[in-house]
Amino acid sequence: MIPTSYVFGHESVIDEVATNMAAFSAARCLFRSYSLVKNVDQNTGILIRCSRRMLCSAPSDSSSPDAHVKPQFMDSEVQDILTRITGLNLEKVFRPIKQELKPPKYKLMTDAQLEEATQSAREQAQRLLKMPPVLPERKPINDVLSEDKILEGMDTAKYVFTDITFNIPHRERFIVIREPTGTLRKASWEERDRILQVYFPKEGRRLTAPPVFKEENLKMVFGQDRHEDMLDLCQVQFEPDSSEYIRVHAATYEDLEKMGKYDLLRSTRHFGGLVWYLVNARRVDGLMIDMLQKDLLQDAVSLVGLFNKVHPHSETAQEASSQQAYGLDLLKIYAKRESQRAGYVELALQAYEQTSAESTV
Amino acid sequence: MAGHKQSNRPFYRIVAAYNKRARDSKYIEQLGSYDPLPNIYNEKLVSINSDRIKYWMGCGAHSTKPVAKLLGLAGFFPLHPMTVTETERHRALAELAEEAAPEDGVKQQQL
Repeated sequence: MIPTSYVFGHESVIDEVATNMAAFSAARCLFRSYSLVKNVDQNTGILIRCSRRMLCSAPSDSSSPDAHVKPQFMDSEVQDILTRITGLNLEKVFRPIKQELKPPKYKLMTDAQLEEATQSAREQAQRLLKMPPVLPERKPINDVLSEDKILEGMDTAKYVFTDITFNIPHRERFIVIREPTGTLRKASWEERDRILQVYFPKEGRRLTAPPVFKEENLKMVFGQDRHEDMLDLCQVQFEPDSSEYIRVHAATYEDLEKMGKYDLLRSTRHFGGLVWYLVNARRVDGLMIDMLQKDLLQDAVSLVGLFNKVHPHSETAQEASSQQAYGLDLLKIYAKRESQRAGYVELALQAYEQTSAESTV
Repeated sequence: MAGHKQSNRPFYRIVAAYNKRARDSKYIEQLGSYDPLPNIYNEKLVSINSDRIKYWMGCGAHSTKPVAKLLGLAGFFPLHPMTVTETERHRALAELAEEAAPEDGVKQQQL
C-alpha cells in the first residue's frame, strides 16, 4: 500500500520524527508491510519532509561554509530526472510475464476509447515503474537486554521469543533470544528476517536465500542476460537495506556497466537505481555513449544535470553553473572535464551532430 | 499450554482457557506457541502475543507454571524461581555425570 521505511532504519531518526506528532502518526503508517510499491504520490511529500529532517539532524559539514545538502535518492528533482531517463516503453513494460495461460480478449473500440485505453495503460505502466528505494546499509544490532549468569547451562538450545501482536510495524517488533549462557539479547537482522518470515510469511520470500545469490551463480545468470529477473528476485527476498541486497545490486550494476548492456534495464523500475549507482561512482561514460548512439539527447542532458546536482564541487558542475550551459554545451563540458573516455564521448557527440544536421538538411 | 500432538512431535500453544478444562480442549483465545524441538539453527521458537496477554492478565487470568517460566525467560515477567532451581539441579547432574564418566573411562583402561 504505502512505501515503507525509506530512510528510517536508524533509531535516532525515529526519535526525530517522533517529536512531531502529526508527522509521527503519518510516518507510523509508512512503516507498514513492505510490499510492491503501488502508492499514491501524496505520501512522497511526507517522506521528503522526513528525509530532509534527517539531513538536518545529521552533523552538518564543518568543512564547507556553504553547507551543501547532498541530494538523496528520494528527492523529487532526482526522482523526476530518473523517471525521465528510464523511459516508458509500453511494449517492454507489459511484455508477457510468466502467468497462467488465458486466451486473449478482443474488444471493439472507437478511436476515442482506444486513446483512453492507451492513457490508462500509460498510467498503469508508470505505477509499475515505481522505483524501489535505495537505502544505506543497516547497522548491526548488538543490544544485550540482560546477562543472567545463574541461568547458564540450563539448555543446549537458544530460545527465540517473538512478539506477534498484530498492529506493530515489523521494524519495531521485539524479537529477543535467550542464549544457553543466559544472556538475553535482541536478534540480529538476519535472524529477524528469518523469524518474521516464519510468523508473517511474505509471498515469494524463502526462509534461506536461494543459492542463485552466490557469486559463481550470479555470473552464470548474467551470462544469460537475466539481470532483470535477478533484481526482481532480490527485491522479493531481501530487505532494501540489508547487506545482501546491496551486494547483489552492486554486482548486477557492475556487470551491466562492464558489458554495456544498459538496454536490458531501460524501461524497467531498476533503471533509476542503476543510474544512481553509476552517478555516485562517477562512471557515467558508458551510459552517456550508449544514449548518444541511440540519439537520446534529452536523456543525456538530464544525466549530466543529475551528475552536477550530486557532485556540485566537481569541475563539470562549476563550469556549467558559471557558463549557464544547456543542452549540447553541457555534454561538451562534461566530455572535456570529467569523463575518462573523453575521446569516445566526443566522437559520439560529433556523430550525433552530423546525423542531426543531415536529418534537418 | 495446550499441546496437540502427533506422535513423537510435540508442539504447544499458549492459550487463554478456563481453569477447569482439560489441557487440549476448547480454549478462549490462542496467545502464542512454543516449539520444544530445536530447529536447524538450534533455536526453540516461542511466539507471544504480548498485547492480548496483558489484556487477559488485566481481566484476572493467572499464568500456569510452564507459561510463567517461559515468560520469565523471555523477559516479559521477572525470572521464575523454579527456573533457577532447575538450572542448579541440571548443573549438579551434569557435574555428577562428568565425574562418573572419567571414572568409567579409567576403569575400562584398567580392565
